[in-house]
Amino acid sequence: MNKIGLIVEREFAERVRKKSFIVSTLLTPLFMIAMMVLPSVLMLKGNSDTKNVVVIDNSPEQFVGKQLTSGKTVSFNLLDEGVTLNAARMQYKSEYGILVIGSDILDNPQNLQLILNDASSMSVEESIQSQIQGILRTERLKRYNLENMDQILADANVRVNGLQTLKNNDQEDESNMEKTSTTASWLMGLILGMMLYFILIVYGQQVLQSVIDEKQTRVLDVMVTSCTPFELMMGKILGIAVVAALQIVLWAVLVIATSAFVLPLIIGTADMEAATAAAMATSGAPEFAGLMAKVTNVGYLAGLFLELLLYIVGGFLFYASMYAAIGSAVDTPQDAAQFNGIIMMPVIVAIMVMMSVMNDPNSDLVFWCSMIPFTSPIVMMARIPFGIPTWQVVVSLVVLFISFFLMTWVAARIFRVGVFMHGKKPTWKDLGAWIKMK
Amino acid sequence: MESILKIEHVSKTYTGHKALDDVSMEVPRGSIYGLLGPNGAGKTTLIRVVNHMTIPDCGKVWFEGHEITADDIYQIGYMPEERGLYKKMKVGEQAVFFARMRGMGRQQAVRKLHEWFDRLGLLDWWDKKVEDLSKGMAQKVQFITTVVHEPKLLIFDEPFSGFDPINANLLKQEILGLRDRGATVIFSTHNMESVEEICDDITLINKSNNILSGSVEEIRRKAGGNTFQVLYSGTHEDFCAAVTGKANLIGQSEGVIGGYTQQKIHIPSDDNVRAVIGSLNDKVQLRSFQEIIPSMNDIFIRAVNGTL
Repeated sequence: MNKIGLIVEREFAERVRKKSFIVSTLLTPLFMIAMMVLPSVLMLKGNSDTKNVVVIDNSPEQFVGKQLTSGKTVSFNLLDEGVTLNAARMQYKSEYGILVIGSDILDNPQNLQLILNDASSMSVEESIQSQIQGILRTERLKRYNLENMDQILADANVRVNGLQTLKNNDQEDESNMEKTSTTASWLMGLILGMMLYFILIVYGQQVLQSVIDEKQTRVLDVMVTSCTPFELMMGKILGIAVVAALQIVLWAVLVIATSAFVLPLIIGTADMEAATAAAMATSGAPEFAGLMAKVTNVGYLAGLFLELLLYIVGGFLFYASMYAAIGSAVDTPQDAAQFNGIIMMPVIVAIMVMMSVMNDPNSDLVFWCSMIPFTSPIVMMARIPFGIPTWQVVVSLVVLFISFFLMTWVAARIFRVGVFMHGKKPTWKDLGAWIKMK
Repeated sequence: MESILKIEHVSKTYTGHKALDDVSMEVPRGSIYGLLGPNGAGKTTLIRVVNHMTIPDCGKVWFEGHEITADDIYQIGYMPEERGLYKKMKVGEQAVFFARMRGMGRQQAVRKLHEWFDRLGLLDWWDKKVEDLSKGMAQKVQFITTVVHEPKLLIFDEPFSGFDPINANLLKQEILGLRDRGATVIFSTHNMESVEEICDDITLINKSNNILSGSVEEIRRKAGGNTFQVLYSGTHEDFCAAVTGKANLIGQSEGVIGGYTQQKIHIPSDDNVRAVIGSLNDKVQLRSFQEIIPSMNDIFIRAVNGTL
C-alpha cells in the first residue's frame, strides 16, 4: 500500500507542476463560460449586415413583391415591371442577390429563384421563403371569399404551452407534489452526462499515455523491480484520479468566481442581464425557473453530488483500468489506436442514448444502458435529474463497482504481462492468453 | 563457496524462437560475475527471468538457497541496458523516489544519495531535470539509484556503455567497492577488457545456450592449452634437442628480438613443464619462458565460433 502511495504522490506532483495543467485549469472554465454566454451576447448584439435583394416580380400586378417587407436581415428593392433578368444581372452586381418571382407563383409556389452575387445565407433564404409563404397563403385564402376570415384564422390558431408537470407522491396533500420540468431535467442530465464523458475519456487517456510513455522510456523496467505491476497500475490510476479531482474542484471554483465577478466587469451588468433574458427566452422561462428551483435546493444538490461522485469514481476506475491494460500491451500511441477505438464505442453509444433520455427516461434501451457498466455512468447521470427510483441507482452502482473490481483484476493480469512485452503489437488473442497465463 | 543465485535448466520460448535453452549457472556470493554473449544470445532474457519480469517455460531460479519469490526481487538492484528515468523529473527528487520505492526512509535516502552524488560529482545537478543531463551523467544517476539501497545482488546490463574511459574507470572502482562491501554483482556485457579486469567468474551464452562457465582465470588457462612463449639465444638444433619428447614446436621460430630467438611450444602434460625448462637451461641460454594466456576477447570469439 505504501508503494502505491509513493507512486500516487509522484504522478500527482509531476502532473500538477506541468505548464499544461496550469494552462488547461485556467483556460477551460473561461472557454466553458464563453461557450455558454457568447451565443446570447452575439444574438443580442447581432451585427450582421442587412442584405439588399433586388426583386423582379412577374406575378400579376406584382402582388408578391409589393407585400414583401424589408427587415433586419433582408431589405427588398422591387424593380419596375418589364426589367429583364439579364439587364438586372448586369446592373445590380453589387447587391446581395436578385429574387425572381414567376408569373404563376400563386399556383406554382416552386417558381422562385434567387440569383446570388455573394455567398449564400440560410437566414436570408429562410426570411424570403417564410414571407412569400405567408403572402401566398393569404392570397389563396382570399379566393374562398369567406367573411371574417382574419377572425376565424386567429381563433383557430390555438397554441398550447406551459403544461405544468408534477411528480406524484404518497402524501395526501396534493400541494406537496413537486413541480418537474422535462427540459430542465434534460438540460441538467445533459450537463452531468457530458461531465462524466469528459472525465472518463480525458483522464482515461492520460492513464493510457502515461503507461505508454513509461514503457517507451523503459522506466517501467526499473519500476517493476521495485513494486508489483498491480501496485504500479493502481498507483498510476489513483494518481491521475487525484489530479482529476483537484482540477474539477478548481474549475468549479473558477467558473463560479468568473461568472459572479469577472464577467459583469467585462460585459457590463446591463448586457449580462439582457443576455440571461435572451437565454431564458430561447430555453423557455418557466423551464429555467424550474431548473433554478432545483439547483438551489441544498438537499437535492447534496444527493445529486453524492451520486455524481460515485459514478465518477466507479466509471473512472472502470475505464482507467481498461486504458492502463491497453497502454501496457502496446509500445506506441499509434498501436493503441485500434484498442482505443473499441473503448470509445460504448462511450459513443452512451452519448447517443443520453440524447434520447429526454423522450423517455424509462425506455428499455435507456434503462439497460444505465445498468450496463460500460454505459451506466453517462446514461444514469443523464437520467437521475428526471427522478428515477432509488433502487435503480443502487443496483446500477453496485453493478458498476463489482465490474470495476473485475475489470481491475483483468487489467492487472494484462498489465503484468504487457509491461514486459516489446516489439510486436499484441492481438486480442494474445490479450486473452495473458489474462489466463499463470 | 555458497552461491547467492542459482539458475537451473531454464528455458524460454517466445513465439517462433527459443530465447533460452536449458541454461544453468551459479553465482558465488561476493563475486563479480560476467554474463557474456553476442547480441541476441539471451542475456537480457535471462536477467529478466531472474528479475521475475519474464516467467520461464521451465527451470528454476534459487536465491539464497530458496526458490526466488517476488519479495526477493527487491533485494536485487537492476540497471537495465536501456536506461529508464523520468525525463521531466528533477534528478535528486527522482533518486529519492526510487530509493523510497525500494524501502528506504526519506531522511535516510536523502543522506545516502547526497553521499553518492558527491562521490560521483553530481551534487550540482541535484535540482536539474533529467532531460538536461548528458548521457553519461544520466547513466551515473541510474547507477546510483540502482545501488543506493544496498541490495545483496546487483545486476548491471552493459554498465559501461556511454561512458568515457575516466568515468568508466570511476564506475569500475565503485563496482569493486560494492563487491568489497559484500554485494554480489552480475554484469552483462560485450566489453571483454572489463571482464578480464574485474570479473571473477563468467558464463558465456550463445544462441540461447550456456556454452562456457567458470572462473575467468581457469577459463583463460584452459583456453591457452599449455602453450608457452620461449625467448632464448642458441641454435635451433640445440633447442629442438632440449624439448624433444616433452613438447612440440608450434610454427616456425619467430625472428629475433634483441639477439634472442622467439619460439612457441606446446607442452601436453603439466608435469613436463619443469623438465622442459630444465633441459632448455642446459642446452640454450633462456631469456624468458611464459605461458600464453589468451585474452577474453579471443576466448569469446573462439567460443562463439565453436573453435575453442
